[in-house]
Amino acid sequence: MALKKGQPTPACHSPGERQEPRNLETLLQTLLDEDPMKRRWAARDLAEHPAAAVALVTQLQHETDTTVLQVIVTSLGCMANDVAVRGLIDCLYSEHALRRNAAIEVLKELPEPVAPHMGQLLHDPDPDVRIFAVNVLESLRHPNVEEWLIEVILKDDQVNVCATALDLLGEVGSLRAREALQTLKQRFPQEPYIRFAADLALKRIGVG
Amino acid sequence: MKRILVIDDAATVRLYHREILEQAGFAVTEAINGLEALEKLETEGHFDLYLVDINMPKLDGYGFLKALREKNMPQAPAIMISTESSPRDREGALIAGANLYMIKPIRPEQLLPQVRGLLGEGDSS
Repeated sequence: MALKKGQPTPACHSPGERQEPRNLETLLQTLLDEDPMKRRWAARDLAEHPAAAVALVTQLQHETDTTVLQVIVTSLGCMANDVAVRGLIDCLYSEHALRRNAAIEVLKELPEPVAPHMGQLLHDPDPDVRIFAVNVLESLRHPNVEEWLIEVILKDDQVNVCATALDLLGEVGSLRAREALQTLKQRFPQEPYIRFAADLALKRIGVG
Repeated sequence: MKRILVIDDAATVRLYHREILEQAGFAVTEAINGLEALEKLETEGHFDLYLVDINMPKLDGYGFLKALREKNMPQAPAIMISTESSPRDREGALIAGANLYMIKPIRPEQLLPQVRGLLGEGDSS
């Protein structure tokens, strides 16, 4: 679970796990330590230092330890400044599934910082990135979510991108989505899944 | 009747695959993520085939497959499915122990021959 923005760093560490001073300079050095446990604690403590966003983003691109990676994305989510959000969004382009999925989970919790980037992500030339952007929308509490999803199923030419948006629209869609759902079935008449899922969504919103 | 475990966090996808597989004569059980799938293994025993989504919360398809193989079920056939078309995902699925990687959405005429083939009931070509 992502730490909430502004939440103080928990003080539940045991003595001996963190023996270094917690000032910014030392933490930045420790972030590069060979010991994953030290890197993990440094990443966690750096959540309180917005100036460390660049260093965390850089380490995120190279980090090989999964627990450290998870803490880095959580700390960036806590910061939620422009550098941190852009660093998390860059993970959507990563071929490293764990890095990508960890970033998606954190981005879902950041509706306001993520919203300005969503239009560009949903029009990215790479269909996989568009799918990951739709994944971010899954629990993004933002008033534009349905509008974004409707645009995807009306305009995206990739059936797997539309199918991903359709899955979500089936859960959050309202009467506003009716025409788009019917249009989608016409756009992909040879795809049984699209027909199946669109009919199910229409039935759920009471027009099927 | 052969038993298939469908693991996907999207309810619509699970229902779609259930309908296809049940109409073809298979018994289907659903799980909403890899963790629940492992619980089903504990409570319901092994299945004849696993249809596994890659991206799921709590425990993803890679994690489930790794655990499945560690449970001394190296032979249990598994089809990994995902919406992503990246070659890296396909490669990762096969390295994780999947017998096959398919991109969603999957048509019945694509899925059923592969399922039957992996179950030894016909060609998977």
